[in-house]
Amino acid sequence: MKNRLRVLRAERNWSQADLAERLKVSRQSVNAIETGKFDPSLPLAFRLARLFETTIEQLFTDGDAD
Amino acid sequence: MDGSRSTAIRRYVRRFWPTMLVYVLTILAVTWIFKQYHPHGFLMYLLAVLPALPILGIIAIFGLYISEEQDEFVRTVMMQSSLWATGIVLAFATFWGFLEDYTPVGKLPMYWVFVAWCVVFGLVQPLVRRRYR
Repeated sequence: MKNRLRVLRAERNWSQADLAERLKVSRQSVNAIETGKFDPSLPLAFRLARLFETTIEQLFTDGDAD
Repeated sequence: MDGSRSTAIRRYVRRFWPTMLVYVLTILAVTWIFKQYHPHGFLMYLLAVLPALPILGIIAIFGLYISEEQDEFVRTVMMQSSLWATGIVLAFATFWGFLEDYTPVGKLPMYWVFVAWCVVFGLVQPLVRRRYR
């Protein structure tokens, strides 16, 4: 699933490891989500949205909706 | 979380090594008893399956790890790897079983199935991870 994680992360000057630390997940998880290869569960998606002070819809793009 | 391993992994390691130690000690003890006392009857069967118990423990410990792993990506990789390992080892065991029936290939002791599963599980993990890079 496409997402804006990389952009939002860059805006805050966070590395993948920084984001992983904040989410309490592994850096590989952040990378896999960021590259769109792994779709996070709803609870993790909500945690991401809260962390970036946005909504899940703003963070993730459903490929079908493009 | 990277440099430091997850709590679930640390718990897994804490459970794994003592169980492996019990396994090695059981194997040594059972082998020694069989050599020294040549047990028979019910005791023979009981002693023969003793080394399997710590291995069942290892399987349970792996199951616990999967259920306790909080990192959903890591959990997914582990589950997919275990499914691949199960499929590959089942396929191999099926092929080998028929080979044993119809050809003169050597008989493989059944306990190697678990060892093979562990080896395949270790080998497929990096490949499964690579799919997510």
